Amino acid sequence: MKKLTLLLTALILIGATPVYAEHHEGGHKTKTEQAVKSGDAHVSVNGLVCDFCAQALEKTFGKKEEVKAIDVNLDSKVVTVNFNDGRTLSDEELTQIITDAGYNVEGIHRVE
Amino acid sequence: MKYIILTLMGLVIFTPPVSARPVSYSEGWTVMLNNDGDKNTAHVHYSPTAKTSIGYKFENWRDKEMVLNAVQMNNLLKRWNKKDSQANAYLKSGVGVAYSDAGDFDGKIEPAVFTGLALDWEDRRFFTSYENRYTEAGKIDDFYTQSARVGVAPYIGDYGDLHTWLMLQVEHTPEAKDNFTVTSLVRLFKDVHLLEAGMNTRGEVLFNYVFRY
Repeated sequence: MKKLTLLLTALILIGATPVYAEHHEGGHKTKTEQAVKSGDAHVSVNGLVCDFCAQALEKTFGKKEEVKAIDVNLDSKVVTVNFNDGRTLSDEELTQIITDAGYNVEGIHRVE
Repeated sequence: MKYIILTLMGLVIFTPPVSARPVSYSEGWTVMLNNDGDKNTAHVHYSPTAKTSIGYKFENWRDKEMVLNAVQMNNLLKRWNKKDSQANAYLKSGVGVAYSDAGDFDGKIEPAVFTGLALDWEDRRFFTSYENRYTEAGKIDDFYTQSARVGVAPYIGDYGDLHTWLMLQVEHTPEAKDNFTVTSLVRLFKDVHLLEAGMNTRGEVLFNYVFRY
């Protein structure tokens, strides 16, 4: 039991320290916060509960020529899709991509 | 019939259930290494879609003195996406060969199959899972196992942070002498790396590592 307590304590300490450091640096910087423009899409998605979900969507959208970058906000459950100049995806295409990745689209809002 | 009853008991005892992710994103590869008091396993799989993965599974059951090599297929049967949570049901099955060093089976190779259900539910604070499996290794052995987990995240990190989970795992192997084992563990998850370390009530170490790319 003593060994277990020591192991868990060590792992928690190891795990907590880098998180504290990252928050001090101002948190996670998103790719699209700096460059959201007209026509970009804010997509409300159900089922976004962990980094793995965010990675799945980043990988999926990363294969699309139309997409410059995406940002996944796990707090608001919103995926912001930043398109390359002159390119876009329709709401139906966005919905299909996210559905195929295993998630559900709740709504899509285009940046004016 | 015995295994159906055990499964239902497990579902009742451990509900709401949850599990790890045996299927990755489309065209994703995953390496899973698991080590606990009973076995060492390695599973490498490729997901052609977000609903299926196929790969190679190696298992070394130390006390059973049995080594299993198999092709394993995992299928996402159903996903429930809610605003703040997600639940999944997977079917995990494999076919291959088992090799045993034990007693009368010294050097024996037999065809082997296994199948099981894995269920999970999680939000960003809580996690719970249930998993079972029936394994048939010809004349060498056949056995049933089930396990469940509950977990809590002491803090909720942003995307990209190191995520920490404190978990409790209960394993039930009806044929074993000590057929219930409880393991306390810590899960650390950052970027494409997931690491778990813990110790069970018999003082045996658990160490798991998952890498996705």
